[in-house]
Amino acid sequence: MRPEVKAKRSQRPAVRRTPAWVAPSAVVVVLALIVAAFLIIRWYNTPLPVGPPPVDTTQRVVATITTLPASEFDAVGQGSANNTIKAVTGAALTGSTGKPEVFYYGAEFCPYCAAERWPLIIALSRFGTFTGLQTSSSSSTDVYPNTPTFTFRSATYTSQYIDVRAVEGSDRNGNGLQTPTAAEQQLISRYDAGGSIPFVDLGNRYALNGATYSPNVLTGMDWQAIADALKDPVTPQSKAILGSANLFTAAICRLTSNQPSPVCTAPIQALEQKLG
Amino acid sequence: MAGIAISIYLTAVHYAGTPLACPTGGVVNCEAVLSSQYALIPGTHLPTAASGIVWFAVSAVLWLRPFGVVHAVWSGIGLLTVLYLLFVEIVRLGTICLWCTAAHVLVVVIFLIAIT
Repeated sequence: MRPEVKAKRSQRPAVRRTPAWVAPSAVVVVLALIVAAFLIIRWYNTPLPVGPPPVDTTQRVVATITTLPASEFDAVGQGSANNTIKAVTGAALTGSTGKPEVFYYGAEFCPYCAAERWPLIIALSRFGTFTGLQTSSSSSTDVYPNTPTFTFRSATYTSQYIDVRAVEGSDRNGNGLQTPTAAEQQLISRYDAGGSIPFVDLGNRYALNGATYSPNVLTGMDWQAIADALKDPVTPQSKAILGSANLFTAAICRLTSNQPSPVCTAPIQALEQKLG
Repeated sequence: MAGIAISIYLTAVHYAGTPLACPTGGVVNCEAVLSSQYALIPGTHLPTAASGIVWFAVSAVLWLRPFGVVHAVWSGIGLLTVLYLLFVEIVRLGTICLWCTAAHVLVVVIFLIAIT
């Protein structure tokens, strides 16, 4: 080999090591791809908003869930509902007709309110009659999007045992809807300092902040499918919704001195012992 | 230290039941994430944030030693946990917790430093 060639080779630069920025950059890119994959999976699995059912279907669903036999409730008991109804103290809360009042405060966008309206309507319908209930669904951009439910915005309630007052603070898009009175705002401030919704005050003897079951139980179902599921006491929907309804019923039976007796049955009175 | 502070804050809020300094009602909703079933370490009543305190504390101790395989493994465990929590937030819950995200970013930064 000629000396000049040998000298040229010895002048070649050494093979460079991979620059230090390559590995971190690769990690960042991979992480970004994984997050993008998660977003795509989420988008693919997000249920589309279910259109409101026709009026006759709404009436049929309401009729189904408000006429379930007592044996169905007794078969479920507490079901899978979380007993988060706590005992509170305060002057007895009475409504416009002087009867013990159940006060609900929630919002139409709220998925936990969406879930909780089912058992609340079912329980209250055992003591009286709702009119004007409309179907609704929770926000499509919140957790548990488009959870099927009802709204109390135009509902009225009559009962010989209790009064009911319901306030939906915001609509499905988060716009202001109804405003609690000053007295109701005091209840919210006193018993729901954390601001969790739904908030339910049962005669100032019991209060609930949040939901007694996960809205996930209703994911992918429409109103009719949920109502049909409630006819069978072993479905996850029955265990969650009717179990929660039984807890509400037990609390209300405490307010009404266990009246009416066909509602405040022995299994319900057993649940009363479990309340806070 | 910032990671430990965030984790302590989230753990304290969990036990105190006080509201978080965080928006609610939209895609960003700390309360929805931290009140979900995934906010607890499986099989326990301990908040996930408590494991963050431990992880960041161990990372701080490791930081005092020369970088090595232990750092990479420990930070890798942290990164995998962050990926799982991101999966839960994005796919399962469809909502993001800002405080959690701040802690996740710190874990990723620690991992990147460990492998550099």
